[in-house]
Amino acid sequence: MSQRSRNDPVVTLDRNFWVVTAGFAVLSIVGVIFWIKFPITQYLPAAVVEADEIDQLFRFLAASSTVLFIYVVGYLIYFSIAFRRRASDPPDAIGVQVHDNHNLELWWTIGPAIFVIVMAVFSVRIWYGIEVNNPGNGLTVESIGHQWNYTFRYPGVHGEIPDAMHLPVDVPVTLEVTSTDVIHSFWVPAMRLKADMVPGAINTLRFTPKYPGTYAIICTEFCGVNHSVMDKQTVVIQRRADFDKWYSGWVAKTKNVSDALPKVGAGAILLTGGNAAAGQKVFAATCSACHAVGPFAQRIVGPGLKGVLHDPAHPTLVDGDSASTDNVAKILRNGYAGSMGQMPNQTTNRLSDKDIANLVAYLDSLK
Amino acid sequence: MQTHDQTELHDGGGVADHIHPEPQTFVRKYIFSIDHKIIGIQYLITGSVFFVLAGLLAEVIRTQLMHANGGVVDANTYNEIYSVHGSAMVWLVVIPLLTGGFGNFVFPLQIGARDVAFPWLNMLSFWIFPPAGLMLFGSFLMGAPAAGWTEYPPMSLQGQAGTSMWCAAIFLVGVSSTLTGINFLVTILKMRAPGMTFTRMPLFVWAQFATAPLLMIATTALAAALAALFMERQFGVPFFDPTKGGSPVLWQHMFWFYSHPAVYIMILPAFGMISEILPTFSRKPIFGYKMIAFSSVAIALLGFTVWAHHMFTSGLAPFLQLPFMIMTMLIAIPTGIKIFSWVTTLWGGKIRFTTAMLFAVGFIATFTFGGITGIFLSAVPFDLHAHGTYFIVAHLHYVLVGGSLMGILAGTFFWFPKMTGRMMNEKLGKWTFWLFLIGMNGAFLPMHYQGLLGMPRRVATYDPQFQTINQIESIFSYVMTFALLLFFGNLLYSIRNGKKAGSNPWGARTLEWQIPSPPHYYNFKHVPTVFAAPYDFAEPLPYTGLEEELTDAPGPQPASVH
Amino acid sequence: MAVASVSYDTHEEPVVDRLYAETRDLRLQGFLLFLVSDVVLFSSFIFAYLYLRNTGQGFPPPGIGRLDVAFAAFNSMVLFGSGCTMHYALENWKHGNFNRYATCLIATIILGAMFLGGQGYEYTSLIVRDHVTWSGSGIFGASFFTLTGMHGLHVFLGVCYLTVLLLQSAHGVYTKQKFFGLTAGTLYWHFVDVIWVVLFSIFYLI
Repeated sequence: MSQRSRNDPVVTLDRNFWVVTAGFAVLSIVGVIFWIKFPITQYLPAAVVEADEIDQLFRFLAASSTVLFIYVVGYLIYFSIAFRRRASDPPDAIGVQVHDNHNLELWWTIGPAIFVIVMAVFSVRIWYGIEVNNPGNGLTVESIGHQWNYTFRYPGVHGEIPDAMHLPVDVPVTLEVTSTDVIHSFWVPAMRLKADMVPGAINTLRFTPKYPGTYAIICTEFCGVNHSVMDKQTVVIQRRADFDKWYSGWVAKTKNVSDALPKVGAGAILLTGGNAAAGQKVFAATCSACHAVGPFAQRIVGPGLKGVLHDPAHPTLVDGDSASTDNVAKILRNGYAGSMGQMPNQTTNRLSDKDIANLVAYLDSLK
Repeated sequence: MQTHDQTELHDGGGVADHIHPEPQTFVRKYIFSIDHKIIGIQYLITGSVFFVLAGLLAEVIRTQLMHANGGVVDANTYNEIYSVHGSAMVWLVVIPLLTGGFGNFVFPLQIGARDVAFPWLNMLSFWIFPPAGLMLFGSFLMGAPAAGWTEYPPMSLQGQAGTSMWCAAIFLVGVSSTLTGINFLVTILKMRAPGMTFTRMPLFVWAQFATAPLLMIATTALAAALAALFMERQFGVPFFDPTKGGSPVLWQHMFWFYSHPAVYIMILPAFGMISEILPTFSRKPIFGYKMIAFSSVAIALLGFTVWAHHMFTSGLAPFLQLPFMIMTMLIAIPTGIKIFSWVTTLWGGKIRFTTAMLFAVGFIATFTFGGITGIFLSAVPFDLHAHGTYFIVAHLHYVLVGGSLMGILAGTFFWFPKMTGRMMNEKLGKWTFWLFLIGMNGAFLPMHYQGLLGMPRRVATYDPQFQTINQIESIFSYVMTFALLLFFGNLLYSIRNGKKAGSNPWGARTLEWQIPSPPHYYNFKHVPTVFAAPYDFAEPLPYTGLEEELTDAPGPQPASVH
Repeated sequence: MAVASVSYDTHEEPVVDRLYAETRDLRLQGFLLFLVSDVVLFSSFIFAYLYLRNTGQGFPPPGIGRLDVAFAAFNSMVLFGSGCTMHYALENWKHGNFNRYATCLIATIILGAMFLGGQGYEYTSLIVRDHVTWSGSGIFGASFFTLTGMHGLHVFLGVCYLTVLLLQSAHGVYTKQKFFGLTAGTLYWHFVDVIWVVLFSIFYLI
């Protein structure tokens, strides 16, 4: 085969081929202009800064692949018509016996390779801006997926907010999502962003809201019989003043709501003299089934507790109180029940006051 | 293993000349047959039956989606229906038809073998398959799996009893595929006719050669995942349940490590078919034989390195997202080489537009479209938007319906005469093609737009703003179904009433066309010798030893000892 | 197709039967590919184990002590010893020392059974003494019992297969030139050994 291919006939392309090729170029230009001018945001608003970048990427991909598609399918149709067997051809007519053309094959390997490199650079740049180098440190919000609704947690607000997620414009947001039952997904089409809500893990989205408005949150991971209707809640992006008003309303409303469990014991636990080494033993025996000594996101049942008292990204505890030794001791004493899980109280966990002091000392030592 | 006295010396005969007597009873001839051709046809028939069933499910889905509030079936039934539709189409239709069906029938003939390496194993592979299919469809009786064909835990841990049945059924299909993969690989490596070097193999054989290791390796990985899910569901063994320390994301890794290569199991053989059909009807050599052959292998290898691109939103660490994104984009290069080579093959041809050729050309156009949207999805930032939406549904149906299924239809029109000795009706075939092309594009093209605008997949009811577009899609899907009904009608009619085909109605040059249609039990009277690649239309056929094939000369005699 | 020239069990005396030689080559290749797919099966569960070990609750999980490395090491030695005897069984067959072959093969079967007994003892003590179970001890129990159980099943099937081989060879099924079954048995047994090396390392050593 390789020997014979040296005997291939010399290929000459006729005028029609070049006319058609030029025609495809014109079509391609029209296609590219269409995608550049295409008003995506007319169909779907871009609510966050990141959405514009993803739209740019989409435009680039759509425009370049339109060109590719026009040429491939264009030649396909042109060759099909131009080289069809005509009635006048003898029954044993054969085509031009050309086997290969190394230059051509080299170019259509290099060409797509260059296209892939350009696309990769473009994608990686945007990916880096969204996934890696995105500060998102203005406001940390949590969203928790349930069958079949979302709840939201804000620092300083006790408990969970059930209806909608409010965000102020121009403040970088870190959104941490998880689930209490099955995998859900947090998708806001207007933000072009999505994160799966995986039970036992915390996934993060970082973005900066830009346009005020109310946008639907839609679940895209199948989550059971009512998955289809898990699209009723919204993200409300609003001006700073409006957001502050809404936020302080929730802070005030939940101010006196402490945890739902009955109080165990009375008075503060004396935390002085806690021994971190002894606390570590208690932790291994009692707590480690549900808590990892790892970052917050390393959840087993409850969150990872490494740096629970020293994590600037999580200044509040699961119950919304600020992260202080006293408040940790309070959770250890009273237990916790909420969407982040269930934690038994001091009696059920068979912890003495001394154990709690040791545990707090141990947790405090984890930085 | 049987005793052979070493004094006995077979006259020249190795495995290639070792013939068993042709079975005479109906059961041994057509049911428990060890003949690769019969087994291939058994796969094709069984797969077609499952295709009709899964296709009916698809039409229930489309009918449900005619109205934003559904109304045909309730949400749970809907979830069962699309889950079984997806599972059946992937495991009971496309994979068995392309590998077990066309693979079994065609490629041993193309390499000049009298059967596959392990005929009994081949029979076993086949007979695992129908019970598995019945189990999957039978799961409706006990509450079918309802978490999509991917069955992500913890959802699938909550699933109805049929979910365990699903695990068992897919596990069995997997065992069947693994055995088929081993069988095919050994056959291609060891049973080629004299002179059939790797660079003289027909491209369909190359495609099966690239597919077989995927069947063998990836399927076994899936078997492990299914076994783990089954154990967790039935015995509470914690692998995936996060409250017991397991990880739901682990399933996704194990599942996609199989299921991404499975995508190539479902498309590489179709690539191979297209690469046979194009030169035959263009009357010229396939352009860039070696590049097409090697790019199949490259795609198969790269296919193992990209599975996590299905998990960009699952919480994959950023440092893992990057390599998976880049590797996925790289697959565009070998795929592009194939597409460009096919298009160039048409140039300068004397193209006869038979139905098979129409489907092959249509395949190139629609598969290119599906491939391009695949490139879109490989870019993480875009995938963050499109993942889990109708954009994905559109993409996967373009590659599976516009790719694999178009390939299957092209292959059926092409090889039907060889299998039955009769032609399919070409006029009806052309109607089938045009209706199918229109229906398919009309049904799936608008889904891209729908997904981008915010319609998630796997929903029984949806936002009313998408109702009109869904109705359009449903109507086009009925057109597609009508085309497929024409196809099946044509098929059934032509088996008995088609025009006599003769041995080589298309003037094709690969080995299977040089012997009678349908071929004899032993395939070749004498094992041929090959001295060139098959696609040089200006040259005489590059085979010797076939002189007696179309004469009344007696076939080979069964060996006395076996 | 070329006459088979290279194979695992050729010896000084050439195999004269071409059909046999080619059939043997096909089966050998098919069998090796089967082992490859079996490796993938084990690898998937090993991946699952290592993945789970490195996510979530830390390892070993609370309430589960270290495994008894000393006993397992002894048991491993039993299995590796059986690998050696299997090797000599095949070598002796090739050299025509059929009695020594039988001795070695019987030793292999006994050592294999001993390994299974040891594993049974280990399971019993884990379940009864330490209350570590398949489904009740988190990812450790799940991975440990699934993987070692799969391996144990392979050993068990191996012991059965070797017993069949012993009986077959006693009945003259194999000759000095034609003994593919023995080759396959040996390959399989070495495969089971190699898998155990990996399992021992990941469960007892790291």
